[in-house]
Amino acid sequence: MYKLRLLRNLLPGGGRAHPRWLASQHKRRPQPASLPPDRLEQLRSDLFERRQELSGEEWAKVRQSLVDGYKHINGHNVDAVILGVCSGPSQLALAKNYVEFLRSRGSKPNAATLGRLLRVYNAAYHERPLTEAEQAEILQICRSLQAEHDTLDATSCENVIHGLVATSGDDWQRGLPLLEMMKVTSAPSVAAYSALAEKAFNVEAPQQELAWHLLEEMATARKPPKCEVYLTLLNRLANETAQLPAQLSRLLQFLERHEILVSQRVAVRLQELSRQVPHLLEAQTTNLGPLGKCQSCQQHLQPVAISDEEFRRLSECFLERVLIRRDVFQRSTPEEVARFKKFVDKTAPYDCVIDGLNVAYSTGTKKAPQQLANLVATVVRHFRDQDKRVLVLGREHMRNWSKQAMHFVHSNASLFLTSNLSHDDPFLLYATLRSGQETDFFSRDLMRSHAFHLGPELKPVFRRWQQQHQFSLATQTQTGQIIVKEPIRHRLGTQPGKVTDTWHVPYCEQYTQHPTDSFEVPANWLCLKLKEQTPATKAMGKTRR
Amino acid sequence: MLKHLAQWRLGSQLLKASAAPMRQASKASSAENSIAGTEEPQKKFVNPFSQPAPAFNNDAVSETKEDRDKRLKVLQLELDIAHQEGRRVPALEFFKDHHWEHVLTLPTKSARIKYFAYLWQIEMKKEAEQRKKAVRAEEAERRMAEMRKEREENTHIIYGLGHTSLFLRIYDTTINHWQNNRLTRAMQFAPKIVLDCSYDEHMNSRETSYAAKQLMMCFAENRMNDEPFDLHYCNAEMDSRCMQSLQRYIPTMHNPEFPINLHSQCFTELFPKQNLVYLTPHCREDLVTYNPDDIYIVGAMVDTMNNEPLSLAKAKRLGLRMARLPLDRYLQWGSGSGKSLTLNQMINIMLDLKNTGDWDAALKHVPRRKIVENEFRNHRDKDQWGTGTRARKLNMRIDNLLDFEEDRRQATSFASPQKVRQRREGLEFQLDTWATGKQKKKQKQN
Repeated sequence: MYKLRLLRNLLPGGGRAHPRWLASQHKRRPQPASLPPDRLEQLRSDLFERRQELSGEEWAKVRQSLVDGYKHINGHNVDAVILGVCSGPSQLALAKNYVEFLRSRGSKPNAATLGRLLRVYNAAYHERPLTEAEQAEILQICRSLQAEHDTLDATSCENVIHGLVATSGDDWQRGLPLLEMMKVTSAPSVAAYSALAEKAFNVEAPQQELAWHLLEEMATARKPPKCEVYLTLLNRLANETAQLPAQLSRLLQFLERHEILVSQRVAVRLQELSRQVPHLLEAQTTNLGPLGKCQSCQQHLQPVAISDEEFRRLSECFLERVLIRRDVFQRSTPEEVARFKKFVDKTAPYDCVIDGLNVAYSTGTKKAPQQLANLVATVVRHFRDQDKRVLVLGREHMRNWSKQAMHFVHSNASLFLTSNLSHDDPFLLYATLRSGQETDFFSRDLMRSHAFHLGPELKPVFRRWQQQHQFSLATQTQTGQIIVKEPIRHRLGTQPGKVTDTWHVPYCEQYTQHPTDSFEVPANWLCLKLKEQTPATKAMGKTRR
Repeated sequence: MLKHLAQWRLGSQLLKASAAPMRQASKASSAENSIAGTEEPQKKFVNPFSQPAPAFNNDAVSETKEDRDKRLKVLQLELDIAHQEGRRVPALEFFKDHHWEHVLTLPTKSARIKYFAYLWQIEMKKEAEQRKKAVRAEEAERRMAEMRKEREENTHIIYGLGHTSLFLRIYDTTINHWQNNRLTRAMQFAPKIVLDCSYDEHMNSRETSYAAKQLMMCFAENRMNDEPFDLHYCNAEMDSRCMQSLQRYIPTMHNPEFPINLHSQCFTELFPKQNLVYLTPHCREDLVTYNPDDIYIVGAMVDTMNNEPLSLAKAKRLGLRMARLPLDRYLQWGSGSGKSLTLNQMINIMLDLKNTGDWDAALKHVPRRKIVENEFRNHRDKDQWGTGTRARKLNMRIDNLLDFEEDRRQATSFASPQKVRQRREGLEFQLDTWATGKQKKKQKQN
């Protein structure tokens, strides 16, 4: 045992030679059902991508090799794993071949295997329409899966929805009660919603209302729809130009209301659409100039200001939800809150409220207190030179900073110091809200936790207010001048322009399922102009076709 | 044996005798409190900390039994399908009722996936263990057969009379009784430390089980020390999850002769307020010197998920003095897992602080992986060279002692308590090098 200890020290990384350093291995696992890449990838590239069917013995060999090779693959799950590997649209024949092989052996494929087969059918459906026999098989599988249990679980529901959507005819509508069934155990996934919405946009007798209803539900649940949904809608509108203006403005209003950013594929399709029907739509990529001016149509974007009603709601709920929450002692004390309220009532309104500590530490945390205090004083001077009334918030220990700078701050601004144990951010925001709609605040903090604690209804309102009013310190030059980053005063999402039926649409590179809050202006914009559908243009459209 | 029992009985009598003055003391202090008119603190902590509980109850009642059964069936189907797909879930037969109870409380699908992955790990470990056991049983069979064969072939007498020896065997229970006796003496004379168990609603079930294990280890390590504290578990509601888990660790917890102090009242009712100091990492004042008259309070909370300053809020609300350990002053913190210390590490630190008064010695209980240690290591190597030369001159082997010390410092959060009886390796008697003047060349460690 003594020797073993020595040996451990000799190993590379010997300092870490602790028996528990791999203890959290189970947290570092790869994604579920994705296995060490070598064997399965090999299988996929060697066999599955090249061949359309394998004989019985070859399948048996593959099965055996997987069961022997991996500890967690046994007789129960090898089928689903194999079908998971041949999941591409060109491997439909192979998948069917495997299921036939299973049936010929007399063993019934289990529910997971059939579900994955439905997924392969769905993938193939996107490439080419399915034959009658295939559709009949899909329906039969779906019927058998639903017959076994009266309430299916979320994964099976999703698989069945994908299968039903691949059929033509009206069977896909059976997917809607399945969506409701999914809600028993979990929130329905983006894939399920998107598949149904896409099908609804695609069918002959269009089910637009249903599709829009599903999209609304998705967006309220904060799940952005997949690109394919938008692409299907646009493809349809390219063929049925009569509905184009109404549906397109409905789409744009949807994007505006839920602050969704479309992907580049959708933007490219929109531009193609404008080329296909130039008499109805004009689309151009554009950049934004300073102060939010679109370079192609020379219009300014809409201001981001929130209405008075929303502002009032925000200021009323703020203190309760953010500072007090469940226990006021976690962020402050009741006496301090009362003292601050009295102070603000006495000295309001302000032009700007400055977060003293955030400003002081902007250029680095390890500076001397003299430099920190000087930075605060410089910012105060910046506002003083513009003849503005300022409130500076800080903590008690700031009294011990350089007396000269603090004296300057004291004489040129109102100063409120909280105790060293309290959070000062909520006080900052409260003072700004209390002073009215014209007050700005000065901080580099993104205020993410406060936005979260306000709740999902008030969060977008808060973010727009924050975007309009937040100044931040960009940097301090060598000469001591400060460079201040002004707030962006125009909206950053899809928005209508001043001229009716013009729209500006930002887009991102790629679709993400969980878009993060962005505080920067999007780099790519589309400038859209919807044209009126007069009888002349309608006739033009007809003759063109 | 009988002698020990007699002593222990004396200890228990001492305990009974001391319990009476204790109870009187607590009554006196609460009487004091009520006389002084400070009823408020007593009322305050009954209510606020049970606030979140009503919220739970309302949600649970609203789901009827049929809905619950239906959901359970669907969840079982979900598990089955996931198992068929080859995901990290255990088979349906692995699950017991209390597993399903827990699964039904999980809110989202991803929480269920993580819990299933944890159970899958347990199942895999069990299977691996069984496979190893089978292999070992086979080996053992083989060895036994060999030994039997050897014995049969051997015509001489075999010595060794079945593990008897000249020496009295010291059983574990004897040591336990001896330590309990020390504890009962501590209850009368030693300074007190309070573990505040009121944070159950702020922890999820995994955290409460960790907290219970740490509370158990606090008790164990306190008992093992030469001069233990008088440990009090306050705000300990017996039907909370943490206390139920603690009951599973220490089944004899409620026996009258077991030397543990469990109170469901708050520490402000038991001890006078001016002696209380709450140790919380969120405040600004460092604890500079240890004062034996002060009663230190440690919050029994595992806050991996929660980063609200709950102990700070509680101390502010009750108006107690606060302090934090001077970790920054004595240690250089590395970038690995933040500055939280487990409860048993806290108790060990306070014990060493009380016994030695030296912060460096006390803070050896902080796990070394959290600390930037490079310069420490170099310093140690240099030292070792000098002491090694001297040791060689005296013909002693001390490198094993130094190794042992390093290992001891590599204590981790959940290390099992050290065994009481430890052999001093390295000072064993070596016949071949004794008094020869020669030394076997020892390999230089890297």
